Order: sequence, then structure tokens, then C-alpha cells
Amino acid sequence: MSLKRRFGQFAAVAFVGLVLAACASQKEPAAAAISGIESAISGASAEASKYVPDQLADVQSKLAALKDSFAKQDYKAVITGAPAVLSAAQGLAAAAAAKKDEIVKALSDDWTGLAGSLPGVLDAVKSRVDILSKSKKLPAGVDLASAKASLADASGLWDKAKAAFAANNLEEAVSTAKDVKAKADAAASALKLNLTPAPK
Amino acid sequence: MADKDSTAAAPAAAAVGQFHEVQKGETLGRIAEKYYGDPSLYKDIFEANKDILKDPNKIFPGQKLRIP
Repeated sequence: MSLKRRFGQFAAVAFVGLVLAACASQKEPAAAAISGIESAISGASAEASKYVPDQLADVQSKLAALKDSFAKQDYKAVITGAPAVLSAAQGLAAAAAAKKDEIVKALSDDWTGLAGSLPGVLDAVKSRVDILSKSKKLPAGVDLASAKASLADASGLWDKAKAAFAANNLEEAVSTAKDVKAKADAAASALKLNLTPAPK
Repeated sequence: MADKDSTAAAPAAAAVGQFHEVQKGETLGRIAEKYYGDPSLYKDIFEANKDILKDPNKIFPGQKLRIP
């Protein structure tokens, strides 16, 4: 074998060795980058899945792509792409908190409105039910039995809504209060009771 | 949420109700019959409007009565 040929073989082996060494040196940081992203997602996933599910899915999809590159030993792609994905993962917690604040504010506004109006509506319906219960002949179209049933449901639900609010469960409080409104409206309708704000 | 008292967290209950504007020739009994089916229940309307009615027999066109 000529000296030239032996040198060529040596160069080829050396090149492969260098490539393998380079790959090996990138594998660890690539794995660490993926681990860091997984950790950031894991810390925020409970709130993120509830408040920013689309954003979470996007980050998870990008992480899956990085893992795919890692599996194909394309560590360079992992290291290049990881910072943006890590940043997005780290932003999940703040995005979820902001969305949660927004929802809580909207629910608080809903509750304030419902808690301000429902007691008056329930009082008005109850008053009419009490008076009509004494009537010798109900007006045409009035369904007192149905109104009584709806009022009973509404009153029970209103107690539940207030209990949920007291327990700091704003979502259930508002949802139940909306059910109260539906029942109270049904009762008022059965009584042909057209409720309006007091004239000035 | 700092305040768990539903009444403290909400504005005072809005004054809602059913209201009737008195027409010429109407009596509380006729109004009671219209809304309750029974003219003898006029006293409930009178009681609910004592701030503007002094006598159940004296109502005037244009008065806006609360119908409880």
C-alpha cells in the first residue's frame, strides 16, 4: 500500500472520529435543553391546560419536534431550536395567570350584577305568588303551580350560589346564579309578571 | 376574593317590580282584578303604595303604582 493511500485512509478515519466526537459533545447539551423545556412545561401545565390550552399544545408540539430531531441524532437542530421553545414554555405560567385574572374579573363582574338583581327579582316573584295564592280566581294565563315550583327551585339554587361564593368558588357561584335567573324568569313568566326597574 | 359576603360584594338589590299607570276611571279594585283576578286583593296594592296613596279610594290618572 502506498504511503499516499495509507494517509488517505487515516484521514478518513480521523474525519469520522471528529464527526462522532462533535456529535457526542452536542448530545449532552441537547438532552439538557429538552429536559429544561420539559421541566418548564411540567411546572405550568396544570394552569396552562385550563387557561391557555392552545398555547400549551403549541409548545408541546414544538417540544415533540425537538425530541424527534434528538432521536435522529440531529443535536444541532435541537440546540438551535431549544431556546425559543424554552422561552415559550417559560411564558406559559405568566400567560395562564393573565388569562386566569381576566376570567376571574369577568366572573366577578357577572356575580356583582347577578347578586345585585336576583334578590329583588326573587322578592317580587315571591310577593306575587303570595298574593295570588289568596286570589279566588286567577287571571287568565297565570300558572301559579308552575310559578311556585320554579320559585322553590330558584330559592334553593340561590342559597347554593351564595354558598359557592362564600367558599370562593366564583365559577360555580356565577353558573348557579345564572340558573337562578332562568328559574326566576320562568316563574315570572308563569305569573305574567313583567318586572321592570322602578320608574324615577 | 377578599369579601365572601355576597351582599357586601354586590350593590343594593335593584328595585324591580311591576308597575301600572292609573287610567281615567280605574279603581284599585279594578287594578287588583286585572293583575290578581280578584278585586278584593286591592289592599295589597294599597299597602305597597302607601308612600303615594293616603286613601285607597283616591287614585288619580297618571299615578304609577307598584303592583306587588
